[in-house]
Amino acid sequence: MPRVSATEAASLRYVKQSFWKDALTNHPGVISIAVFVLVVATTFSIITDNFLTVHNLLAVLRQAAPLCIAAAAMTFVITTGGIDLSVGSVGAVAGVLASTAMHGWGVPVLPAIMLALLVGACIGSVHGYLIAFQGIPPFIVTLTSLFIYRGVALLLTEGYSIPIPSDSILAFLGRGWVLGIPMPVLLAGATLVAAYIALNHTRFGRYVVGVGSNAEGVRRSGVSIRKVRTLVYIWSSVAAAAAGLILTARLGSGSANQGVMFELDVIAAVVLGSTSLFGGRGSIVGTILGVLAISMIVNGLILAHVSPYYTQIATGLIIILAIWFNTWLLDRPARRVG
Amino acid sequence: MLRENNGALAPRPRVDMRGITKTYGPIRSLRGVDLSLAPGEVLGLVGDNGAGKSTLTKVLSGAVTPDGGTISIDGEEVRFNNPADARRKRIEMVYQDLSLCDTVDVAGNLFMGRELTRSFAGIPLLAHDAMHERARIMLQGLGIRIPDTHALVGNLSGGQRQAIAISRAISFEPLVLIMDEPTAALAVAEVEAVLEIIRNVSKMGVSVILVTHRLQDLFLVCNRIMVMYEGTNVATPEVASTSLSEIVELIVGHKFEAASARA
Repeated sequence: MPRVSATEAASLRYVKQSFWKDALTNHPGVISIAVFVLVVATTFSIITDNFLTVHNLLAVLRQAAPLCIAAAAMTFVITTGGIDLSVGSVGAVAGVLASTAMHGWGVPVLPAIMLALLVGACIGSVHGYLIAFQGIPPFIVTLTSLFIYRGVALLLTEGYSIPIPSDSILAFLGRGWVLGIPMPVLLAGATLVAAYIALNHTRFGRYVVGVGSNAEGVRRSGVSIRKVRTLVYIWSSVAAAAAGLILTARLGSGSANQGVMFELDVIAAVVLGSTSLFGGRGSIVGTILGVLAISMIVNGLILAHVSPYYTQIATGLIIILAIWFNTWLLDRPARRVG
Repeated sequence: MLRENNGALAPRPRVDMRGITKTYGPIRSLRGVDLSLAPGEVLGLVGDNGAGKSTLTKVLSGAVTPDGGTISIDGEEVRFNNPADARRKRIEMVYQDLSLCDTVDVAGNLFMGRELTRSFAGIPLLAHDAMHERARIMLQGLGIRIPDTHALVGNLSGGQRQAIAISRAISFEPLVLIMDEPTAALAVAEVEAVLEIIRNVSKMGVSVILVTHRLQDLFLVCNRIMVMYEGTNVATPEVASTSLSEIVELIVGHKFEAASARA
């Protein structure tokens, strides 16, 4: 067609696809993880008697709540092309700080919660400053924080578990039920809705994607990419603190050892949900599915009486298989472009 | 179409740069360069590597502060200390397709940094529909056919991406548009499409400075071609009264005979 310009040719070659085909083209990762979650749920429903019960599913969701909250924020971090390895340690600091404040220093519950979240915000600000303004790689900054704040948590508790009053609001946030739904699940749900709106329907979310895709281009558009990066790490640490608080509340005491390797669960859930570790591509729906997949596998393996010694191995293997499949799917549009 | 603008009807040039000098250490990059540009005019800017083209465009776009000389926009003398100053005077530079985000859709790229929002319960949310609608109209107005403004830019061809980058610059309603090698690395049909966009932009009254090594393109869209050699402008012939071989001679440095013949 020598008389047709390239742009015209492109419009001639454009084929309107059905909703499902469109979804598969634009969000292949999310579709594949959704299928994966269905397969996991179906499998455990068949091989165990009590997986598919309201009681068990609510328990799965309740346990998944802290993971959901931290993973929602981590989705933003990873979408900018960054990483936050400190979420487990920051959560531990928040948990022991709140419980020590209440138990040891006699601080009322609400100020204790605020204090823990504020400390999370401060930690995130330091991360943001070092990463966005000083140019230190996020991996290094947050890896050192992983050590530092685990140490701070140990220092605060001197190795003891610090109980929290079981009649406090904090305990209610971890163990209470409202309208037949556990409180942590409601908190996680609210966080996810907020995260979904922020990522897809606000300027901030647009810039988070832009920074991960082409930071220099976004900077030239007049956007303060340092501010965007800093905010992302602040939210991650605040979310980590909130997740830590909920975990502490559910366990009934703050312990310096809570949430060890939590960051790996969080990152695995986000990556499983098709958010790209290279940045520029993130999905909150995918993250929800990633969290569900990981939580269901852990729960299902226990119900299936698989030896606990095998649980970690099986979880890891299942996750790497899912991500392998996802990479294969996600690579297809890239190859088409190239 | 140019002569109307360039002649008696618009005696005052849109851009008038006089005696611009810039020295980097021992290198005199610009040795007193003059450039004038009429409204709606397309000026080709050519010269060998190191002739000072890119320094000159950086001076006009505010990225480089000149050591000497004056810049006037519509008769008013201006001073640019940074790109934001130049942008306020509505001078836009197209950074090829380097400024685009592959994983953001066409409309998102066009509105990057100044997204339309609508208030929902006091929270400013992106007005997706309005942005896609305006993006579609914007592209249509420039004669650019992108099948769907929801398409991710990473899935578009090089020519389409360049078209988006140019549209983005146009959407700031510039008086002057500077394009650095917009047709480099494009397929033949795509070059044609980009040149068509440049013609449309010029018809809208925007002055265009086109920096390119593809001399044949200059003869298709430009009104005049300014040739730089070793930090000076040696000649600025009208396209109608010059030839490819003359331009080549000017670029490689047989400047005196050619310059005296034209100036």
